[in-house]
Amino acid sequence: MTYAPPAVNPDSREANPYRPDVAADPLAFYDQLRTQCPIANMEGVPSGTHIISRYEDVKFALRHPEIFSSDVVAVDIGQDRPLIPLQIDPPGHAKYRRLMDPQLGPKEIAYLESDTRALVNDIVDRFIGRGSCDFHAEFSVPFPCTVFLQLTGLPLDDLERFLTWKDNIIRPDVPLGDTQAAQEVRYATGRAMYEYFEGVIEDRLANPGEDVISRFVHGDLEGRTLSREEIADVLYLFILGGLDTVTSTLDCSIAYLAQNPSHRRALVEDPTLVPAAVEELLRLHTPVMQVMRVVKQEHEMHGVRMLPGDHVIVMLGAADTDPEEFGQTAGDLHVGRDANRHFAFGGGPHRCLGSHLARLELRVALEELHRRIPDYAVAEGAELYYSPGIREIASLPLVFEPGPTLVGAAS
Amino acid sequence: MKIHFEASACVGHGRCYALAPEVYDADDQGHCIVKFEVVPPELEAQARAGAANCPEAALAVEDGLSGGARAASARPSG
Repeated sequence: MTYAPPAVNPDSREANPYRPDVAADPLAFYDQLRTQCPIANMEGVPSGTHIISRYEDVKFALRHPEIFSSDVVAVDIGQDRPLIPLQIDPPGHAKYRRLMDPQLGPKEIAYLESDTRALVNDIVDRFIGRGSCDFHAEFSVPFPCTVFLQLTGLPLDDLERFLTWKDNIIRPDVPLGDTQAAQEVRYATGRAMYEYFEGVIEDRLANPGEDVISRFVHGDLEGRTLSREEIADVLYLFILGGLDTVTSTLDCSIAYLAQNPSHRRALVEDPTLVPAAVEELLRLHTPVMQVMRVVKQEHEMHGVRMLPGDHVIVMLGAADTDPEEFGQTAGDLHVGRDANRHFAFGGGPHRCLGSHLARLELRVALEELHRRIPDYAVAEGAELYYSPGIREIASLPLVFEPGPTLVGAAS
Repeated sequence: MKIHFEASACVGHGRCYALAPEVYDADDQGHCIVKFEVVPPELEAQARAGAANCPEAALAVEDGLSGGARAASARPSG
């Protein structure tokens, strides 16, 4: 690919992470950021958008929301109000997490495991006999989305609509860099989402079920229930988190394992390695490359003054591959790592609410996929396009030995 | 071995009880509960692994049964 100037320019201290070539192979970009300009400016933005990349700095930013706030100014994605809980800072944030976290804790979601395992096998059955698939379209998208619909009780018939919405918000189909067109798409999508949520909330108020939305609607928030607006603000974030990030993680992970057969074989031979491999794949690929913050109190880092109102790109992927924290194997998949304090799910009070569900999905997917399809490769000649920001692969053609379906078999 | 837990730093990543379920548990919000004040010798490796993998560094282990002066970081050296 021919991109000029380079993604990091140490002389001007400018950098641009939002490029497909960076998203495809971000390690060199991250290294350059950390070593040559630990506080960079976003390229093309006059001033006041800082990129933080070293592990210690990222850790500090995540843990200090009073300086690096997550409030609504940090990310404008067509919403009317702050997304809950992401865009509410402490201390107000904790009361929402006290209501929401217990619904998505590791013990509470453990019951999903057997259905999730059956779902992976059902999906694999759709293409295993063919010996090829577009892993992104045929697995990475439908698998987490189906789990999400089961969890939320939202209708399968509306899935296409949800997928269009989250894509419109996360990667709107406009010319690269046309921020105004992107915001118009996001704003219009936001209207459609709020309107849809009204019906969902109405329904859950009248007909509460066991689904997680019903639990939010009827949950106790310090002696009251959430208002309709608050529930809509939760759901807005839920659609984005629930429908996109596991897809991206599966894309990055399976593409990597297809291209690195020795790592894949190790998982096939010893499935007990899968949980540690999931952590390493999350760390090395950090599919959500960055989170956004806005400066609330003046702060200096590496001689750069950050002023209230400045935007900050907290480069999680750069922190997660920092040799200062992860040693000389920081850029490799090292399943036997003793300490893996990665921030693929963020950190500090805004740690990803869905991280336990994501880990369950990823573990079960890798266990079942490698049991059913132990050997696979990226189809010859395929070019993998990674989307910037959240690293999903537009199309991931795989080839493998055809195998039998499980139809009729016990599962 | 003793475990030091900084409850205010815990945000519920859940790495401790995933890696060392005999030493750490989850409360209903998914935050850490330390099961032992003094860790039985056979669980020291688990206690260490759980602490070393806390992304918030909310956990630290201290070698020595009675919490002597020789404090060791949970993080492996090197």
